[in-house]
Amino acid sequence: MLRQLGQAVVVVIGSTLFLSLLLRLLPVGLAEIYAGGFDEASRAARLKELRLDKDPVTFYLLWLRDFVAGDFGPIVSPGGGTTPVADKVGSALPISLQLMFYVQVVALVVSVPLGIYTAYRSGKRSDKAISYGLFTASSIPNFVFGLLLAVFFGVTLAWLPPLGYVSPGENLVEHFRTMILPVASLAIPLIATYTRLLRADVIATLREDYVTMAVSKGLSNKRILFSHVLRPSSVTLFTSFALNMGALMGGTLVIEQLFTIPGLGSEIGIAIFSRQFFALQSYVAILAVGFVLFNTLADIAVGFVDPRTRERRRA
Amino acid sequence: MDLFTKVCSTWLAIIAILAVVGPFLPLPDPREADFAAPGVKPFSPGHLLGTDSNGYDLLSNVVNGTRVSLMISLVSVLVGGLIGSSIGIISAYVRGRFDGIVSTLFNIILSIPNLVLGLSLVAVLATSPDPSIPVSSNRRIFVIMLSLTFVIIPILGRIARGATLAWVNREFVVAARSMGMRDKDIIFKHIVPNVLPAIYSVGFLAIGVVIVAEGSLSLLGVGVVDGVSWGAMIARVAGEFTYLPHSMYVPVTVLALSVIACNQVGDHLRSRLDLREGKI
Repeated sequence: MLRQLGQAVVVVIGSTLFLSLLLRLLPVGLAEIYAGGFDEASRAARLKELRLDKDPVTFYLLWLRDFVAGDFGPIVSPGGGTTPVADKVGSALPISLQLMFYVQVVALVVSVPLGIYTAYRSGKRSDKAISYGLFTASSIPNFVFGLLLAVFFGVTLAWLPPLGYVSPGENLVEHFRTMILPVASLAIPLIATYTRLLRADVIATLREDYVTMAVSKGLSNKRILFSHVLRPSSVTLFTSFALNMGALMGGTLVIEQLFTIPGLGSEIGIAIFSRQFFALQSYVAILAVGFVLFNTLADIAVGFVDPRTRERRRA
Repeated sequence: MDLFTKVCSTWLAIIAILAVVGPFLPLPDPREADFAAPGVKPFSPGHLLGTDSNGYDLLSNVVNGTRVSLMISLVSVLVGGLIGSSIGIISAYVRGRFDGIVSTLFNIILSIPNLVLGLSLVAVLATSPDPSIPVSSNRRIFVIMLSLTFVIIPILGRIARGATLAWVNREFVVAARSMGMRDKDIIFKHIVPNVLPAIYSVGFLAIGVVIVAEGSLSLLGVGVVDGVSWGAMIARVAGEFTYLPHSMYVPVTVLALSVIACNQVGDHLRSRLDLREGKI
């Protein structure tokens, strides 16, 4: 566990250093963007304030110190006023996290029974059609689902708002109505991926001797599937759950943009458009840290779900 | 090869041919708006798939967009794959500290979700110092290819490294080494031919990933914004799907079919690979 945490720290430092160097070493004209319209004296003061007079490594170390302390840098408006990025993160990050949480919950709730059922029925005539259907659904990019669902349910049938966001505090019913389409467009490819993985694993587990044993003892199918088969079959699903967070983060950015949800994706779009590179650096660093953290936790958690992997690792 | 794989390979072949012959087909200029017929439905005279709200011909745009989208994905996967797998193969063959450094670097780059990494790279690279002069379309295409190449390197690099590790201790490699064969020859004669199939299959999946990334980048506003590509089309029509849904169906369908086809062909190659591995 310590080894995994150590690795996570190395990766986090490496990726944030990489982003920082990217910004400082490439000719993006940070000085022009952040202190363009200033006279000589206030320009130097502004550059000093933003630490652009420091060398890249010192710049990174100071940035890292601030980042750990929760200071994500400034957003500088053309007039020269600054707002802290942390304010934006405070309002946007919970919305993105909430969206990802909904997606993962929906994806798991649908794919676990579906995976077990399709595995249980494997070899039947419908099997091939199901496999191809799942494969196709897992290959279709989420923004395609987003656009199609928005047109069909939002415009043609007009059952749901095609875009926009309502916070749960404002109106809970409207909140869920606005979230259905974005969540569905991100969840459908995930459901297909999870179901495929779980299905393959359950089929493999069903061939194990202890399952034959349980069947011969006369246990009910439901009992066998859910208490003997599901747990050992869920290891791949678990790892993939964590790995898919990366794709989901990317997907969330696009879907937020598409459905005009004021989450981190929209903030990143604004940061790129208004060329706020310090803000962009912090947003991307937050995503990278979150992704690494999630994978490390999943790696540790897999050991609890299937103790066999722990043994193997020690050996 | 089953029927589905055949259909998918055929689709990819059609796309590849369209990418080459696109400009020579008797289609309206993709950048020329037909002001007499903005937003007409499919099967209108002169516009087989209709036009978008600006009067751009959808069929011509989707056919000509194939070239840019396919070029971006092929170039990034080929160049990224070549660099990545060379690093991966050498690192797994050499082992030791070099291998440790390479794996850590791969892990670091892979820790940034690939779309987010591509997005940051494009945003940083395609910035013009003067906001009033936008970056040219060609430079954007180049920057997108460069960024996505960088995204692909660790993905294929890790695959190549893993595959090489599985072969490097096989008897015939050890035998070749003990006979005094040079490392360079061992890698090219014994390792590369065995590792290539794994790289091919993941390469096809990677082409799908890059096609999706190009579309996503466009939707996020950093793609080929004013040019002719599938992503650019989707980004253009994303704002008008509420009243002109057909202009969105066209690029979205073509893009989705291509991604499905790439994934299926990659998956088919991989399953053949497992079969071969299983027989040994």
